[in-house]
Amino acid sequence: MSAPVTAPAPAPWQQYICRACGYVYNEADGDPDGGLAPGTRFCDIPDDWACALCGVTKLDFDLCAGPDPAARSTCSGAPGAPTPRSQPGVVIVGGGRAGWQMAETLRARDPALPITLVTACNGDVYDKPMLSVAMARQLAPATLARETGEQAARRLNVHLLARTHALRICTATRQLRTTRGTLRYRQLVLAHGAAPSLPPQLPPSMCWHVNHLDTYLKLRAALGSQPRRVLVVGAGLVGSELANDLALGGHQLTLLDVASRPLASCLDEAASSALLKAWESLPLQFVGGVKVAGITRGAAGYRVSTECGQVFDADQVIAATGLITPSRLAQTAALAWRNGIAVDAATLATSQQDVHALGDCITINGQSSRFIEPIARQAKTIAAQIVCGAPVAYEHRTPLLRVKTTSLPFTLA
Amino acid sequence: MNAADLLRDVIRVPPLAADTLLAAVRAVAQGPLQQQVQGIDQEGHYPRAVLQQLAQLGAMSAHLDAPAGPGSYGLAIQAMAEVSRVCGATGFMMWCQAVCGLYMQQSGNPALMHEALLRHVSGAGLGGTALSNPMKSYAQIESLLLKATPVAGGYLVNGTLPWVSNLGADHYFGAIAAVMEGDAPAGREVMFLLRCDAPGVTLRECPSFSAMEGTGTYGVRLKDHFIGAGEIMADPAKPTIARIRAAFVMLQCGMAVGITQGAIDSMWAVEPQLGHVNQFLEDRPDTLQAELDELTARVMRLADTPFDTSTEFFIDVLDARAHGAELCLRAAQSALMHQGARGYLMSSGVQRRVRESHFVAIVTPAIKHLRKEIARLSAGELPA
Repeated sequence: MSAPVTAPAPAPWQQYICRACGYVYNEADGDPDGGLAPGTRFCDIPDDWACALCGVTKLDFDLCAGPDPAARSTCSGAPGAPTPRSQPGVVIVGGGRAGWQMAETLRARDPALPITLVTACNGDVYDKPMLSVAMARQLAPATLARETGEQAARRLNVHLLARTHALRICTATRQLRTTRGTLRYRQLVLAHGAAPSLPPQLPPSMCWHVNHLDTYLKLRAALGSQPRRVLVVGAGLVGSELANDLALGGHQLTLLDVASRPLASCLDEAASSALLKAWESLPLQFVGGVKVAGITRGAAGYRVSTECGQVFDADQVIAATGLITPSRLAQTAALAWRNGIAVDAATLATSQQDVHALGDCITINGQSSRFIEPIARQAKTIAAQIVCGAPVAYEHRTPLLRVKTTSLPFTLA
Repeated sequence: MNAADLLRDVIRVPPLAADTLLAAVRAVAQGPLQQQVQGIDQEGHYPRAVLQQLAQLGAMSAHLDAPAGPGSYGLAIQAMAEVSRVCGATGFMMWCQAVCGLYMQQSGNPALMHEALLRHVSGAGLGGTALSNPMKSYAQIESLLLKATPVAGGYLVNGTLPWVSNLGADHYFGAIAAVMEGDAPAGREVMFLLRCDAPGVTLRECPSFSAMEGTGTYGVRLKDHFIGAGEIMADPAKPTIARIRAAFVMLQCGMAVGITQGAIDSMWAVEPQLGHVNQFLEDRPDTLQAELDELTARVMRLADTPFDTSTEFFIDVLDARAHGAELCLRAAQSALMHQGARGYLMSSGVQRRVRESHFVAIVTPAIKHLRKEIARLSAGELPA
């Protein structure tokens, strides 16, 4: 070992990091205890040399770039201004319409209330109905978010924990366990919505669902700019609007349903017929009375087969087969449950004091009402309880429903 | 010790009833183990006799299925907690021995399931686990350190594992290597029992740790080490790992529960003299005990179905393990605040427990690994 220490180095000294323990070998310093003089190049280290700390060989080392001073200000994994976590205030779970509406309503009533919003996505603010409409109008995906999560958090002075999964409510200690640590709360609001419910015949590895901007953007990327063969399973509200808008966007659509006509649960037969008639001018084929038996992936795309033996080929498959409310958080808090978090019709109270819920995750008398209109009124009722104002009763009513099959829209009461 | 006699004893003697077993484990922990704690923590004393005593009581095999009946993960965790309450290092070695037995029993390999498993259960054979790196590899945190090249009748394994615990010259442990096709990974792994005294295996002393020095922890270097039918536990390894991963993580909860309880014990110990000032501290023993009791009850419920392979169940197990580590850190820290200077003496178990709690928080799966894996599992699957 006789590396010249005084000779000028032809190239800058490099650092190599041990993948096993993180020890950094600096060529300038060598490893005198391990028999490597200062100035020993990594490539000159003998194969039987051992990491000074953990004993692995040089094969388990990688070139190490060294710390980036600029990274210091942004090392936190969760975007948003750092706020002391010890101050228990209101913790909202969910960064969709219901979660942000709740934050907005609370902030309007109390400028000083500490609010933390925990969301599994990045918290960008967008209008869900636009996801489908943007297909028809071929709007650029980047234009869909009205405001980023960070911007909304700054505007409302909310501590945003984005890309964070809420795992468990500990009611005895008033704590919410998350993948970025445990939060204390004074009041907890669940606004985590519902998730797509895919039948076992349609595994998520082969089948898209469109209930969120993140997934939607990935679907748009997968579709690309060329017309594709797209198969939509489920001709309810979401499936019919989506198929309609994708066909308007130039794609070749096949729409399947177990019922013999589209929107069978909310339109009468005459209206369904009128809709089918309107779709005749679009590249959209409706196939009713079929049940999907399975899906396979081949070189040329996906093949969906039905129980009655029909076969459909497609470049992308989308399931619009309904929503189901995730029960994890509700179960950990032992919340009363009826197809969703059961809340009182007038007060929206859950079965646990200081745990509130609104939006797509709640049910009233066992019925969910997954529309945008009630959310703002629900937030007002809950905010009045949290900031101890005069009670605001919630009035449960069947929302006016606009079926946005743009080829032939319907309004239902 | 005559190993043959021991085997006959193991076969003949029915397992102890749960209460009897826990009482016997407590007696060992608070008796001979208590005497050795400082040596284990600071001086590298490996408590072989205590471990063998615990083995003979069935403390490290309570979770294994036996002719007398199915195993109880709850009992295995409680036994580990009783020991960890006194000595976290020994509790950790119980986990090593317990999961090594789990690998052997789950291997389906006759060469590892009969005499070898009985030796292991009796404590005549002691072993550990080198699945820290593979578990992190499966969670997409790091790459596999061992490589297995197929040869006639088995594999030649090469590579170095930085630190593997509960080892000695005559010990063994479960390991996983990436199977190679030429210079490239073949996309599958092989799981095997690695005997420390086999050809091509070198144990290497580790640098000093801040605690738990007597855990028999070594670096292990493999140079063309042959494994064949007598050693292979699973090939491919992934289905076995998917089956045992929850049990593997769940058993570690025994360490967290025990160390936390030890910390709470030491708070109560000074309450008569120091309660008048300790009342101003947060994390008082009664609130910590309530949180620990809730966590323990949750772990006991999970322990009823250790082989549930659903993702939701595994998330529950990972979160319970993370909660255990977080509570352990808080309790050990608060215990030091409660005891003050007397707890800061090098001879005090209170400061030792602070260092043990750090171990619970950083040993694989560390708190950060647990959270990353939960986040990965919580993200829904999408088409490629």
